[in-house]
Amino acid sequence: MSKPKVGVFGFTGCGGCQLEILNLEDQLLDLISAVDIVHFTEAITEHSDNYEIALVEGSVSTEHGVERIKKIGNIAKIIVAVGACAVSGGLNCLKNLYGTERAMELVYGDKKDWIDSIEVKPIDQYIKVDYYARGCPPNRFEIVDIVRSLIVGRKPEIPNYPVCVECKRNGNTCVYEFGMTCMGPVSRAGCNSRCPNSGSGCEACRGVIDDPNVNAQKDLLARYGLTVEDIMEGFNLYNACNKVPTVENKNN
Amino acid sequence: MLYKVMDKNVYQDFIKALISNYEFIGPARKDRSVHDFVPIKNISELDTNYMRTTIPPAKKLLFYPTEKLVNYEVGKSIDVKPVVESKERILFGINAWDINGMNFLDELFTTDFIDENYISKRKNLMVIGMDSQPTETNFSPSMGADYAKSGFDIYLTELKDKYFIRIGTARGNEIIQKYAEVRNATAEDFKDYDKYLDDYRMKFKLNVDIKNFYDNFELIYNNEEFWKKVAKDCYSCGSCNLVCPTCFCFNIKDDMELNLKEGNKIREWDSCMIPEYGLVAGGHNFRPNKENRLKQRYRCKLKTFIDKFGKYSCVGCGRCIETCLAKINIAEDINSVKREVSV
Ligand code: SF4
Ligand code: SF4
Ligand code: SF4
Ligand code: SF4
Ligand code: SF4
Repeated sequence: MSKPKVGVFGFTGCGGCQLEILNLEDQLLDLISAVDIVHFTEAITEHSDNYEIALVEGSVSTEHGVERIKKIGNIAKIIVAVGACAVSGGLNCLKNLYGTERAMELVYGDKKDWIDSIEVKPIDQYIKVDYYARGCPPNRFEIVDIVRSLIVGRKPEIPNYPVCVECKRNGNTCVYEFGMTCMGPVSRAGCNSRCPNSGSGCEACRGVIDDPNVNAQKDLLARYGLTVEDIMEGFNLYNACNKVPTVENKNN
Repeated sequence: MLYKVMDKNVYQDFIKALISNYEFIGPARKDRSVHDFVPIKNISELDTNYMRTTIPPAKKLLFYPTEKLVNYEVGKSIDVKPVVESKERILFGINAWDINGMNFLDELFTTDFIDENYISKRKNLMVIGMDSQPTETNFSPSMGADYAKSGFDIYLTELKDKYFIRIGTARGNEIIQKYAEVRNATAEDFKDYDKYLDDYRMKFKLNVDIKNFYDNFELIYNNEEFWKKVAKDCYSCGSCNLVCPTCFCFNIKDDMELNLKEGNKIREWDSCMIPEYGLVAGGHNFRPNKENRLKQRYRCKLKTFIDKFGKYSCVGCGRCIETCLAKINIAEDINSVKREVSV
């Protein structure tokens, strides 16, 4: 069996996802020997357009980016979106809440015309994505699991249940008991409840589960004195590119 | 059962001896709202006057949230080795309803199939019970679980100036012989003990009409309106199952090393309240909505095992009520069935 050729690509984001892969330490060597890495922006200088699997981090926010992502989409057989920016647009989407024009003015003033910037979108708005390694930063063990599953030819197991499940497996005291709030009941698990483990609320960096009980979450946050605006902020921090289900369009 | 009495001033030395001779797990304060059962190295860490624990102590020690079941190597053939961990430990300070919850798991994991991973840990666990303070959500007397008749090696009950001791096993008796100075219980001691039990029972404020629920469950089972109302705010988050002392469902995952030569099979706590639980190969989900799932959970807790083992799998500990952010309350729901079927 020849080793699958893998490319790791970066778009708009902080580059932290690629660092997560480099942080694998012990497993990194195993990973490198299990696949053939032909492109890795942050780690190697060689470059080849011959790859089967593309791990893509970052969201698409420039015209140039649109061309690049389409090219990757044409070459790779399997696309894995790595990290919140690639998966759902991530924090970058907050720009869209202002509108590209207004945001450009605010940031670049009269130099705004020099800059190539378009509405931020997750990569699956341009190409078909096969698997999502969610999170900001993503869980590096999940990235390994996806790659390993691709090598052995089975479907990676990516949870579609709330963070509360992992939080309870970890025996945490719920942060609501300390008067804090948490998006855990509607957020997608897979991070091993990273934030509640260290005593802070979840902010849904892995996105929400497929069928979140939005109304219940609104009622819950309201019991803790949050307004609808605060609540939308809670939903939007990492998910502003997605239309969040509202009371009207999602009646649970 | 042997009944003994220990003077109060002997207690400290008894505990110290156990701590220094065994791996000793007991309740300690975790944060402002809960206690947790953890290894105790010094008697000052032990706080038996607890009210709430998030995860039931016996489940935590016998059925790990995630656990390696087997280890395999892929060579010319596949070499599979079971991973069975177990060492002698003392579980100290577990209360009656959590002992009853453990007794349920003991029966479950030895019926139809012997679960080696569970039972080898259980055999090596010495259980020393003690009453704790019930929360407002505790309805264990209604479930017949506020008193432990078996499952412990020793049960200590603190009376005014002495401890009343019930010894349930030969192993418990050996420990008492070895580390504590005790005398036989007299008629006077039994009188004090009975009086204590009457007072203790008064501390439980919540009652449920479980008999009525059981009798009417089939009537309410197909009432969609009822279940929709009850499950309306459910997040399908599974917390109610994961914190339950008797929930035993698990999922098995494969964890193969990247070298593709070796790996493990891992089991982790699962929950019937999350949608994936009902998902079968081919993508069909036989419990697609939260109403179905809540109904199934109540059936499992409050009916199935009466029919199978002659006991409820709910011990009334109240943990699922406290943990549920949607305020879904099994005790209220049990009682509301009566109203629902009588109108
Ligand atoms: S802290 Fe958050 S994730 Fe954990 S149980 Fe509470 S709501 Fe769920
Ligand atoms: S707990 Fe929530 S915010 Fe934190 S890493 Fe997990 S999904 Fe992201
Ligand atoms: S009943 Fe409550 S704890 Fe259980 S799954 Fe529903 S919301 Fe979660
Ligand atoms: S169903 Fe709820 S009250 Fe009953 S034993 Fe489980 S957690 Fe306790
Ligand atoms: S089926 Fe549900 S209620 Fe029954 S033991 Fe499993 S998780 Fe608990």
